[in-house]
Order: sequence, then structure tokens, then C-alpha cells
Amino acid sequence: MTHEAWQFISFTVRMALLSMLVIVPPGLALAWCLARHQWRGKVVVETLTFLPLVLPPVVTGLILLQLFGRHGVIGHWLYLHGGMDVAFTWRAVVLALAVMSFPLFVRAVQSAFEEIDPLYEQIARTLGASEWRIFFTILLPLARRGILAGLLLAFARALGEFGATIIVAGNIPGQTTTLSVAIYQAVQLGQDSYAWILAGVSAVLACAAVWLSTGLLRHPKRAL
Amino acid sequence: MNRAAQPAPGIQAHFAKHFGGGVDICVDELCTGAHTGITVLFGASGSGKTTVLRCLAGLTAPDEGWIRFAGETWTDTARGFHLPPQQRHIGFVPQHYALFPHLSVAHNIAFGLHASTGAERAARVADMLRWVGLEGLADRLPRDLSGGQQQRVALARAVVTRPRLLLMDEPLSALDAPTRLRLGVELRGLLRQLDIPSLLVTHDRHEALTLGDDLVVMDQGRMIQRGPVHEVFSHPMSLAVAGIVAMETVQPGCIVQAADGLVTVAVGTAHLTAIGLNTLPIGGEVYVCIRAENVILLKGAEALTASPRNHLPAVVRALHDEGPILRIDLDCGFPLMALLTKQACTELALKPNDRVTVLVKAPQVHLIPHATVAGGY
Amino acid sequence: MLLAALLVASIALSACADSVTIFAAASLSDSLKAIAAAYELQTGDQLVFNFAASGTLARQIEAGAPADIFFSADEAQMDAVEKKGLLLPGTRLSRLSNALVIVVPSDSTLGLKSPQDLADPKVGRVALGNPLTVPAGSYAKAYLTKLDLWAKVEPKVMPTENVRAALAAVEAGNADASIIYKTDVTISKKVTVVFEVPPGMGPAISYPMALVADTKKVAAARRCLKYLSGAEAGRIFKAHGFILLEPGHKP
Repeated sequence: MTHEAWQFISFTVRMALLSMLVIVPPGLALAWCLARHQWRGKVVVETLTFLPLVLPPVVTGLILLQLFGRHGVIGHWLYLHGGMDVAFTWRAVVLALAVMSFPLFVRAVQSAFEEIDPLYEQIARTLGASEWRIFFTILLPLARRGILAGLLLAFARALGEFGATIIVAGNIPGQTTTLSVAIYQAVQLGQDSYAWILAGVSAVLACAAVWLSTGLLRHPKRAL
Repeated sequence: MNRAAQPAPGIQAHFAKHFGGGVDICVDELCTGAHTGITVLFGASGSGKTTVLRCLAGLTAPDEGWIRFAGETWTDTARGFHLPPQQRHIGFVPQHYALFPHLSVAHNIAFGLHASTGAERAARVADMLRWVGLEGLADRLPRDLSGGQQQRVALARAVVTRPRLLLMDEPLSALDAPTRLRLGVELRGLLRQLDIPSLLVTHDRHEALTLGDDLVVMDQGRMIQRGPVHEVFSHPMSLAVAGIVAMETVQPGCIVQAADGLVTVAVGTAHLTAIGLNTLPIGGEVYVCIRAENVILLKGAEALTASPRNHLPAVVRALHDEGPILRIDLDCGFPLMALLTKQACTELALKPNDRVTVLVKAPQVHLIPHATVAGGY
Repeated sequence: MLLAALLVASIALSACADSVTIFAAASLSDSLKAIAAAYELQTGDQLVFNFAASGTLARQIEAGAPADIFFSADEAQMDAVEKKGLLLPGTRLSRLSNALVIVVPSDSTLGLKSPQDLADPKVGRVALGNPLTVPAGSYAKAYLTKLDLWAKVEPKVMPTENVRAALAAVEAGNADASIIYKTDVTISKKVTVVFEVPPGMGPAISYPMALVADTKKVAAARRCLKYLSGAEAGRIFKAHGFILLEPGHKP
């Protein structure tokens, strides 16, 4: 495999890992809200959260471009005040990967939280523990398998993300070309064997992540 | 017995909680009085006991009403006030203990001690382990403990913070029969030593009799009688309570005579002498309640010289073997149930259709006025 | 792209009158649509288009997409297809050319005036059609290479799917400048032309067209090809800003 191919793989993995860092804190918080609280308008939040799962990825990419392009609502502000470009840079790659894998993570963590008997938290409350302490010492440890499984699934999704990425980050060699975009380009150029090699790597990475994730979810009784 | 020298006002509550499709819970003047004894909330499953416990703990909020403890308001729906459980300083032991599965015994117990230093925590935990007799198990995980051990850890965890009130949901129900018997006695001893007002919820008569000082009977979400345990069990104030406390013999009767504080009641074809109820006139309809264990059975000439006022000839209809005891269905002019040890039965050589004499002391014949629907307490 | 090809194929199959499928370069979209309207009125044949970068179209034809005519924006892509024996021999001809221009967003304050300005550090991103698949991009690269500017400009290049996407990037302000066809600018309000490559200074731009060998509608396709290279179509192309090449023009 060529040096270039390794670069694509390494870049994609790095961007996917960064996007995981981005989604974990808000993902945990949102999953907790959805699992443990009821409020008016909850349906709206749920719908918005899970939208990227069902919207055509290019539509999500379009929305992101609209928001984060240089003339976009957020992008313009960032460019003006921080000199920072988002669209068509590696930041847009992280953004696209994060947005597309966020719903998967939230859903998995929400399920994990919902499986935990609320009685543990209630007992903890009677023992004087604050909600923060309950979250970190009761919920998170008890849900760690589900959280990790969700993270792996989200990581796999991020690795394979294409539609939103190509719209908001484009295909700038060395700057925003992810593995799936590289495969797409190889197909466009008629470099079929190269495309298949990259596709193979992509498949192996995805399989590994999903296999680990499913394994974690299948043995709830075994300690981590 | 270790009672507090200074009385605390205890719980005062008046609230209601509605469940769509289920029973409405209506707590009318629940009050544990001014001592640190053990109050048992007694009733069948589904009568609302656990909900009352959870409302007192602050885990659920009632739909309307108020809850106060030691003069401090915990819940007041009129003002929209609900003190969270964290600030009520209570101990709560749920039915299946809910020990934190990922923490060791020591960490479970220490969970409520976040305000103490490490050394204090370790000392308190060691004290607790000693108190419940589980030294050496500090590093075990809950899943490696027996039911009885888990229960003791749960108790230690609830009590280590020296709460003002202890709430327990069916403390013995999750245990097997031999453990239940043994632990019941132990638990009573432990609770006595605690000197904390305790409220226990159960549907089991043995648990109530073993652990409780005071009893509050709940039926269909309402509190229908309250008093010392043995008092309520022997003297239910309504048919509903009689049913809940499993009064074995309940028969309709009619007062035919009243004199010197005693009344004669006609039940079936027999007459019984009971302590009089001032409120009832001659001809008043009553229900007669007799606990099976208060029925004495004799054969032959012995009966004539026995002291109880009520002597009735009876025929044994059936014998039900329940291991160490036998329940005997008798007909003495009305259906009556008696309870005898196996030994006593063998001595009397009881068989169906035997003729015996039934003796019941007058104070042990309890009368419920017919018109009582649901008594207050 | 493939989805468009599928759609085109199914429409083509269900048409009553003859319908001819043309895979054409993105820069030809507006002009060809105008021509199609006139053609359909005249002949009753329906024209169905698939617009994309010529490189993309070439790959699709190589993969067996059902095209009748291939109208590329450069000879190189047409050569690639011809080498694979996928063109009907003797049908290839070139009648159209274009000019390159440098555009900037209308509200740009960078003050670009010449190609050399593209190398200036203050220019952050230059959108070009991907030189590997988009003729406009490869023309731009050839031009910049000729001017010895490619080495400096290459790090700033933001490759796009096709020439219209490069235009869109400049319109949205996501790129500071772009090199596109002169014909693309006429349709846009949000960009300003700062430099036009003089004829003869830039690379030789040529738009060859040919019949695809596997076409099922040879007669109708030939008719269409004849029309496209004829005078009427030529007028429409010219009106859209294209340069007409003399018949017999050799690339």
C-alpha cells in the first residue's frame, strides 16, 4: 500500500478520534436528559437529535455548509472574530463526522442509561449524593459497557462518513480527504484496484469496530 | 429497650396521590407520634404502602397535601415545595436492597459519608460492619453475598449517616423462610439499638408482629386503623381490618343482653359472652371476631371446671396439617377455627366428627359494630 | 451521478418519440438546455441530459452507462473513452471552444487583477475543478503551469466536483478566487471577473462530441449530433458566450 493510502487512513482515523472527543460530553449529557427526564418539547429535542440518522447525509452536509461556510451564520462570526475557517478545512471534517455519528452515540448511551434501575439513583439521593455525584459514581460506571459500545459504533460511523463530509469539507488533498472520499475519487479516476484496496481497509476497520461493539453489548453480566 | 429521652414530633403527613387506572392513595393524618419506636405500615400488596414510603422519602411527590417531619416541612404542594431526598437526612432500605452492584460492601456502606474524612469514613464503616456482624466482608461485591448478608449491608448503608428517620420496604420478604425467621429477630435487636424512628412497610403478619411496635393498617390506599401491634391484631375496628389482619373467625351476631359491662351475643345457634361496647343497644348487629390461637379445646370432664366464660360444645369438622401446627375447623353453632400444636392434637387424639368443648375467654371475643364501614384511627 | 444516469435511462426507455441521451460537460448545461427546447420543437425527439464533470462522465460511459452522445469539455477525456473503443468511429468532431477567466466574490476586498496575484499570500483558497477529472481544472492547471505559478498556487487549491461547483464556492465566499470558463460567469450575479485569459495565451480549449458505440438510437443520435454541430445550435452557443471553431478544426 502506498504512502498516500496510509496518509488517508491515518488522517481519517485521527479525525474520527477527534470527533469522538467532540461528541462524548454533549452526548452523555443529552442521553442523560432523554433517559431520565420528561419535559414539554422533549419530542422536538429527540427528533432533532436523531435527524442526521435519517436525513440524506448530503442534506446534513448542506445544512452544515450553510451554517459554517464563510458567509454562514456561525462561520461568518468565527471568521470575523477568530480568523477561523471551518468549511473546507479539517475542522469541517471533524464537524461532519461528529454530527453524523452523534445520534448513534446518544441512542446507545440513552439505552444503556434506561436499562439501569432508577432505584440505585434514588437510594443514592437518600444518602445525600448530588445529581453530579450520582451521574459520575452510579450511572456512568453501571452503564460503561453500553457507553463504550455506543462509542465504538459512533467511531465506525465516523470512519465511513461520506455524504456530509464531501459537501462541507470537500476533497482537498492532504487537508480534508478522508478514506471514503479517497475511494470515491479513485473510482472517478478509474483507479479500480486502488479503490478496492482502500475499500478493503475501510471494511476491515468498520467490521472490527462493530464486532467489538456487539461483543460488549452481548455479555451484560460479565464485568468489564 | 432503648427509647429516646426526649420525644421528637415524628412524621406528620396528610397527602394524596392519584394513579390513573390504579388505586388512589389517600393518607389522612399519618403521624408516628413522639417516640422512636418502629411503626409498621401494614396492608396487602397494592394497597399503596410502598408509595407512601416513597413519598415520605421524597422519591415521589404526592399530588396534593403536605408532609412534615420534626416540625420541618418536607413537602407542601400548596406552595409547590418539595424538599429533595438529599436534604431529608433519612435512611431508606428498599425491598431488594439495591446495593450498588459495582461497589464493594465497604464502599456501599461508605457511600453516604462523603462529608467525612477518609479516616472517619474507614472508622464508621468498620463500626457498621461490626454492628451487623459482617466483619471480614468489606471487600466483597454484592453479588457474592447471601440475601441475609445483603440485607444487613443495606441496613448498615442506610444507617451509617445517623439519619433522623429510617424507612424500610418489606425488609424480610426477599429472604427464604429459615433466614427470615432468624434475621427477623436479629433485625429487631438491631433496630432497637438504633434509637431512630423507623417506618416499616409489609404485608406479612409475622414481619409485623416480630418487628413492629405500632401498626397502621392500609387498605385500598387509605389508612383504616392504627395502634399498638397486638392491639390491632386482636381488636380490628372494621371488617376490612379484620380481613387484612387475617382474623380467622368472623361471624355475624346480634346482642341479646347487656349487664355489668358484659354482653351476650347470639351467633349462629350459640351464645357468647363478650366485653360490652357502650355504643351498642340490645338488638344491635355485630360481627364477632375470635383469633384461632385464643380458642382452647378440651375433651371430657376437664371442660367443666375451666375458667373462661364461654363454654361451647363443638364438633370437629376438619383438620388441616400445617407442619408444626394444625388448624381445626369446628362447628359450635357457628363455624370456628382453632389453632393447636401437633403435640396438643395428639394428646387430645382429635379426629373429624369428634365432640369437644371450645373455651374462649370473654375479653378475647372481639365485637365490631355492624354499621362500621371503615374506621378511622 | 450514477443515480442521474439511471434516471436518464429509465426516462429514455419510456419515451414514445425517440429520446437521445447526452452525457455533457457541466459547463454546457444552460446552452444545451436552450438548444434542447428548440430541437424538440423542430424534430419531436426528446433530449435527455446528464451534466457532470467530463471525467466523471467518461468513467460512467466506461462502466456501461446508457449514453447516446458524449459531449466532453476536453479532448483528453474523449481520448480516454475512444481508446477503450467505446466511440462510434468517424463521429467525433470539435466545434466549440471557451475562454478562461479569473473570478472573485463580488464583495472581495483583495484587489486581485492578474494571475500573478493568485500567488499572493493574502489569497487563501482558490477553487478549481479537480484537475484530475474536470477539464476546466486541468486547463487552469495548464495555464498556471505555463505562467510558472502552479507551484505557488497548488497548496491553495480547493478541488471541486465540476466547474459549476467551483463557481458556487466563490459565490458563497468559501473560496477567494477561481479560474472558470467565461461562459459560466454570465449566469452568475455574485462573482466579478478580474482577468480574462487572452485568446492564444491560454491552453487550447476544445469541446469534442461523439456518438457512443453502444447507442441504440443511431439514427436519432446522428440527427442530434448534426444539429449540435450546425448553424442554429452554433448561434445559441455563441449567445451563451462560447467560441465557435471552424469546421475541420483539428485539436
